Amino acid sequence: MMRRGPAFRPLASRGRRAVVAILVMFALFSAISVILSTRATARSKNRATVVQVAARQRTLAERYVNDVLLALRGAPANPRYTAALLRKSSQALLNGGEAPAVNGDDDETHLSPVSDRLTRRQLVQQGRLVADLIASGNALLHGTALDRDRLTAGEKIDAANGVEQLRIVASLTENVSLNAARTIASRTDHNISNLMSLQIVLGIGGLLVALLLGGALVAATRRQTAHFRSLVTASTDLVLVFGRGGCGYVSASVATMVGRAEKDLLGLGYADFVHEDDRSVLETVRANGEPHEFVFRMSNRFAEWRHLEAHVTDLRGDRRIRGIVVNSRDITERVRLEEELTHRAFHDELTGLANRALFRDRLDHALARSARSQDPVAVLLTDIDWFKQVNDTLGHEAGDQLLREISRRIQRALRPSDTVARLGGDEFVILLEGTSEQEATELASRVLQRLRSEPVEIGGRDLVVGASIGMIVHPGGAGESEELMRRADVAMYAAKDAGRGRVETFRADMMRDASDLLGMEHDLRRGLEQGEVTVHYQPSYDIASHTIVGVEALVRWRSPTRGSVPPDRFVPVAEAAGLIHELGEFVLREAARQTVRWIDDDLVGPDFVTWVNLSAVQLSDRRITDTVYRILHSVGLETRRLGFEVTETAIVVEGSPAEQARAVLLDLHDRGLAIALDDFGTGFSSLEHLRRFPIDVIKIDRSFIQGIEHDPKDVAIAANLVSLAHALRLAVIAEGIETEGQLAQLAELGCDLGQGYLLARPAPASAVSALLAAQRTPASTTA
Amino acid sequence: MVACCAGLLALGTPIAAGAAVRHHGPSHSANVEERDFHITAPTRLPAGAVVLRVENKGPDDHELLVVRTGARTLPLRSDGVTVDEDRLEPQLAGVLEAGQPGSLRTLRLHLRPGHYEMFCNMSGHYLGGMHARFVVHR
Repeated sequence: MMRRGPAFRPLASRGRRAVVAILVMFALFSAISVILSTRATARSKNRATVVQVAARQRTLAERYVNDVLLALRGAPANPRYTAALLRKSSQALLNGGEAPAVNGDDDETHLSPVSDRLTRRQLVQQGRLVADLIASGNALLHGTALDRDRLTAGEKIDAANGVEQLRIVASLTENVSLNAARTIASRTDHNISNLMSLQIVLGIGGLLVALLLGGALVAATRRQTAHFRSLVTASTDLVLVFGRGGCGYVSASVATMVGRAEKDLLGLGYADFVHEDDRSVLETVRANGEPHEFVFRMSNRFAEWRHLEAHVTDLRGDRRIRGIVVNSRDITERVRLEEELTHRAFHDELTGLANRALFRDRLDHALARSARSQDPVAVLLTDIDWFKQVNDTLGHEAGDQLLREISRRIQRALRPSDTVARLGGDEFVILLEGTSEQEATELASRVLQRLRSEPVEIGGRDLVVGASIGMIVHPGGAGESEELMRRADVAMYAAKDAGRGRVETFRADMMRDASDLLGMEHDLRRGLEQGEVTVHYQPSYDIASHTIVGVEALVRWRSPTRGSVPPDRFVPVAEAAGLIHELGEFVLREAARQTVRWIDDDLVGPDFVTWVNLSAVQLSDRRITDTVYRILHSVGLETRRLGFEVTETAIVVEGSPAEQARAVLLDLHDRGLAIALDDFGTGFSSLEHLRRFPIDVIKIDRSFIQGIEHDPKDVAIAANLVSLAHALRLAVIAEGIETEGQLAQLAELGCDLGQGYLLARPAPASAVSALLAAQRTPASTTA
Repeated sequence: MVACCAGLLALGTPIAAGAAVRHHGPSHSANVEERDFHITAPTRLPAGAVVLRVENKGPDDHELLVVRTGARTLPLRSDGVTVDEDRLEPQLAGVLEAGQPGSLRTLRLHLRPGHYEMFCNMSGHYLGGMHARFVVHR
């Protein structure tokens, strides 16, 4: 699943450092190169001037000889001036300073001192020779013999006369000047060569470093890309990325599921594998990046439709993705389990007909349509005559066989649009829409006729099936399904009373039951006051340790006139009469008090929980939480000792979670009370509810447990429910355990807790106390 | 003048010792030092193959020419400051081109017995004192 969070950024860390390092290296190498070039250029410029002045000494030496010779001949010449130029230039060359201007030749030039050792030696030698030259010139001009000791440059001149000596010294001066100029020039060339070599080395070094860092950057990017790819390809999640031209990327898992190459799914290729009804939602996602979550179907390589739960992330603004990422996971197994549970919740397992819940739903819808269209709606309640005797004499197997045959015959007698349901036992109900009373009566007669038409062979006997049908025809317009069912029931009893094997249509005078209900309400009210209503407890066991870990509080009513009235008879009366809050509070208070007694008597462990049923009517009252808390406070019971059992239908309104019920349950849960989902598997069985509501425990309905010994399908469902509950970190209680085989099977499936007649029947508090005490005794002796 | 010569002699003694002839293997070798402006070299060398190890102790560039001659002075060119090498061509025993200060070069010679003179012919150097005579004996 792709979560919203920091985007994937391959250049975020290592890559960015590499880029910065490359830029820094280039800047460093360039700076070194520029500094060296600038310094070398400045030095070269100075050296060029030095070379020029050094070379000029040669000319000056020559000029000096000429000036001396001219002066000797009396011609106008100024050898002294030339000598001064020679001397000053020589000094400037060696130690730096201003080299004098030469008339008609150079301007005055500033020179830096020479640092090179060889050049200095040559310039020192030049200075000596200049001195010797001027000394020779002066001796000649003054007509004196030159004292050989005054020659300083190491010459040992054997000249014929002063002029020859002058020429020789001048020649030596010129020679050494030329050499000095050459040396300086060659040093400059050498330095420039060195600089070029250094710059080549810097260039190559910079290039190599850049290549290395670039390589590191590419490698880091590849590693991250490979890492990302391996995450995506190794994931079982199915990833599609949509761009402008359709699908731009599919993960390997999608290609594997579909059984085609990835390229076949790109562009619009994926659409061939998407269910026709789901293509439009994918188109919407492609265009808008919404909805953020949806479910769609894709066919796999075996041409099966797989249900995929998709999460959409719009990354069109992210320049690295530029697309809409659809991250899906296969939820087919979950959907199938839900469908299976839903089917079982709304169908009768024995006959495959609709059950009571589905029938009520269909009837509600038919009445809603009738309210608009004014079309009549007929309900035919059918009770099989003498079925109990068949069961009792031929056994349940024969009874079941008979019921299956009856359901087939009823269906054959009706139109395909009619609904048949089995309400339980031998009670069937038929819903006819748009049917007049006459047509309905004809259809009812046809049903009776079809049932009676030929005997059913069961266990070697031929049975003739008869039925009593009570019919109510709603003329059209607004109507109450509850009322219709009650009237059909009244009519059906009238048919039985009238001798069975017949159809009776409801008439107002049949309503004696209504007054009976009024009587029951009165009796119940009195019964509550006079202590006829009591609370019994059915223990629930830890299957592994076979210890009692809780009890379910069950309300009982023993009326002096009616005898023992089962809760499914008087609870609806209490709900209808508004007595349910009083009744509920009574049960809660009783159960809480009793639990405190057990705790005080040290009969229960620290995790013992007393479970109390909460009806839909109680849940719809927001004050329930305060009532609960008030009662617990008054009897001094910790909240964690109490749990509430709610049915799925109680927390759901027309298929959607009721916010009121959710708020109440969250409140109770927050206060520390445990919540159990009762009769799980018989309602909507939406796994979504398990996530949306604060559920701690699920109670698997007894209908699954009954077949668990023999029916592999029931085993599979129970196993799925147990593993599902454990995956959601919920505990599981199996209800209605009646045999050792069922218990063993549940233990094998890892079911945590169990409840049923095999373990303990519902009993008064005193009996349960005895059970708890018996359980406690060995524990206390060992402790 | 005398003092100058005495100074030169005083300096020449250790240098002459450093320029002693060595007899190693089939050819003889000898050290020659060039300075501004004189040459220090052995005055006697054996006939046959001789290798001169010529070191320029500068500071100027110097070349080295070896001629077989008995004359006291060498003929000059018309410039009056360099030796006329063309006229000495038949007597030329060997030549080393100009070497930079600090350079050490070798000159291979095959010498016949007789009188020889070595000198530097850079402008003015010969007349400035850069020449040395030696005798080749059998």
